Amino acid sequence: MLKIEHLTKNYGDKKAVDDLSLHIKPGEIYGFIGHNGAGKTTTIKACCGILQYDSGEITIDGVSMKQDPITCKSKIAYIPDNPDLYEFMTGIQFLNFVADIFGVTAEKRKERINKYADAFEITGDLGSPISAYSHGMKQKLAIISALLHEPKLIIMDEPFVGLDPKATHLLKGIMKDMCSEGSAIFFSTHVLEVAEKLCDKVAIIKGGKLMRSGTMEEVKGDTSLENVFLDLEEEK
Amino acid sequence: MTKALFKKQIMEVFAWLYKDRKTGKIRSAKGIMMYAVLYLIVFAFLGSVFYTVAQMLCKPLLDAQMGWIYWCLMGLISVFLGVFGSVFSTYSSLYQAKDNDLLLSMPIPVARILLVRLFGVYAIGLMYELIVMIPTILVWFMKAPFSLVGAVCVMIIPFMLSIFVLVLSAVLGWVVALIAGKLKHKNIVTVFISLVFIAGYYYIYGKAYSLIQLLLQNVEAVGEKIKYALYPLYQMGLAAEGNLLSMLVFSAIIGVLFAAVYFALSRSFLGLATANKGAAKKGYKNKDQRVKSVSGALLQKEFRRFLGSANYMLNCGLGIILMPIAAVAIFWKAGTIQEILSDPIMQPIQNFIPLLAVAAICMVSSMNDITSPSVSLEGKSIWLVQSLPIISRHVLAAKLKLHLLLTIVPAIPLVIAVEWLIKPDLSFALLIPVAVLLFIVLMASFGLFINLKMPNLNWTNEIIPIKQSMSVMIALFGGWIFIMALAGIYYLLRSVLSPLIYLLIVCTLLLASCVIFIRWIFTTGAKIFSEL
Repeated sequence: MLKIEHLTKNYGDKKAVDDLSLHIKPGEIYGFIGHNGAGKTTTIKACCGILQYDSGEITIDGVSMKQDPITCKSKIAYIPDNPDLYEFMTGIQFLNFVADIFGVTAEKRKERINKYADAFEITGDLGSPISAYSHGMKQKLAIISALLHEPKLIIMDEPFVGLDPKATHLLKGIMKDMCSEGSAIFFSTHVLEVAEKLCDKVAIIKGGKLMRSGTMEEVKGDTSLENVFLDLEEEK
Repeated sequence: MTKALFKKQIMEVFAWLYKDRKTGKIRSAKGIMMYAVLYLIVFAFLGSVFYTVAQMLCKPLLDAQMGWIYWCLMGLISVFLGVFGSVFSTYSSLYQAKDNDLLLSMPIPVARILLVRLFGVYAIGLMYELIVMIPTILVWFMKAPFSLVGAVCVMIIPFMLSIFVLVLSAVLGWVVALIAGKLKHKNIVTVFISLVFIAGYYYIYGKAYSLIQLLLQNVEAVGEKIKYALYPLYQMGLAAEGNLLSMLVFSAIIGVLFAAVYFALSRSFLGLATANKGAAKKGYKNKDQRVKSVSGALLQKEFRRFLGSANYMLNCGLGIILMPIAAVAIFWKAGTIQEILSDPIMQPIQNFIPLLAVAAICMVSSMNDITSPSVSLEGKSIWLVQSLPIISRHVLAAKLKLHLLLTIVPAIPLVIAVEWLIKPDLSFALLIPVAVLLFIVLMASFGLFINLKMPNLNWTNEIIPIKQSMSVMIALFGGWIFIMALAGIYYLLRSVLSPLIYLLIVCTLLLASCVIFIRWIFTTGAKIFSEL
């Protein structure tokens, strides 16, 4: 579903991502972990077509992000770590805007908005301007907007930050359901316990370089993901 | 504790001087000096206007033994300016200050927090009030006979009067706080009130000279009337003339007013400052949603951004209101305008009146510079249009369309009114709307071009890309300079080119420029936008 091959991105002299290769298959929940400034967000933004990269290739469902970004973007959904949404819109106006862009029919958008807004308990707030939303509510709205077009791949940057325990639990359930239906999920997190319990595969990045990747069992072996991560962090 | 609070408030009030609002960084000493000098120049320029007014009033009123009216009138102007300057920030600085929660969580009495906040409003009001009061005092010292008591009173008066400004601002701010959140169309109401203020200002400004003359001719009758209507200012005037008792009465009135307002506000402050900051929760009905095309959705987004910001509408869309107003004014005052145009003194410009008409319409239409901050306004939410399956060209096209729709539609009645007024021959009648249309397209595309070249996505307050950005300045003044340059060129070439040929050449040039800018926007500009 998502193939990252030899991805390199420089910011001036600094290599933010250095020859990174990952392959996320349909049905997989793929965790992406690393310390602050390791290159997670840069990689994620490159995968979503927000950031141009210097070399390498990113393909979504076999389509190159460089060659055909619009087709790639129509297959994915992106949820950033800090959802800066259009504050001049109400929640429902924003959801309709996103649905219009993805060409979601009136019936389907109504059904999905009702389903997810009820589940995340923000139906009553959809008529209010986004500027009045809390961080958690914005995060919930961003998640709902990402689910409207039933993407084949969801890319998320720290999706659990700001969510209440109930919403976190709900999101985990949605992630599992989507993967069981053939979609793929690629997300970054600092919460290693969540990654350990939720992910089929995991990749650890440090200084822009891929340190370790594979199934959860392959990466952590007999120890915990936290121990593996901390050991890798201590390596020079 | 109080000292620390006042120090914090002073730092906050003068942050505009030492802190760069764009980057948030502290300015260098040289930068602060330059900024201070710049403000002093603006202060002196504005002060010179009131100096002229003071000069006109002071001597005749002193001669009529009615010096106190001089103080009443200048005091009234300074109170108006002080309230005008501080009322807009009173609500936000009293009730919406970002550190309200922090201060309320500390062991500080609520009344003291309010006092410090009021001090901030007082300082802003004083700054505005001094623009009028400094020239008032200067002229007074030059014209009035000297008295020591009067001089001392005159030096105290601005600081006391500023408390009166504070009282009025605080009361208005309190009213705003009470109704905030209950208004349905807050932005439209803000725009309407601001336009009424602007219209009122220009009306009074236009009538100022005749009003002053009227006052000076009927000084005694006016004096009798305003003595009671503006009693505190009457006492202030007598104090300036050296009446110590009046100074005490004036100070006592101000003191009582302040105490009453402070008491009332301190009782409601906690409730208003901790009220839910967001707008009132609006119910959402589960109804069928209207489906739009991608370009329709993007255009609607631009419309919502424009209508969702009073700052954007007021600063970049004034032409929307001015063009229909100008059209109505033309129909209304057609007789007077035609009289002026047919005056023998206007004979030399008769044959190029159509050119002047085009220049005038373009000048008013250039008050709309909607595209020039439109890229910057994407701000931190730019990730949305970059991550969604949208071609950057379509996003930029929506920005252009918004500008064109909101400028061309209001320009139509103005063009009709102008053509009805000047009754041009057929060739001009056809070319005038074409030239105006091409100019509007050029301004829209130029604004977008310049903002793509100078984007600023890292702002915390939308006023920065709208009011304090180079792209808006260049687009606005660039439009005016362009029109003046075209007029100047025609003046130089008037003996070799007929107005019709010149207008044809201008239209061709405008068309070529539009093609160049739009082509750039949809190729290089789209690439720049997708990589921002």
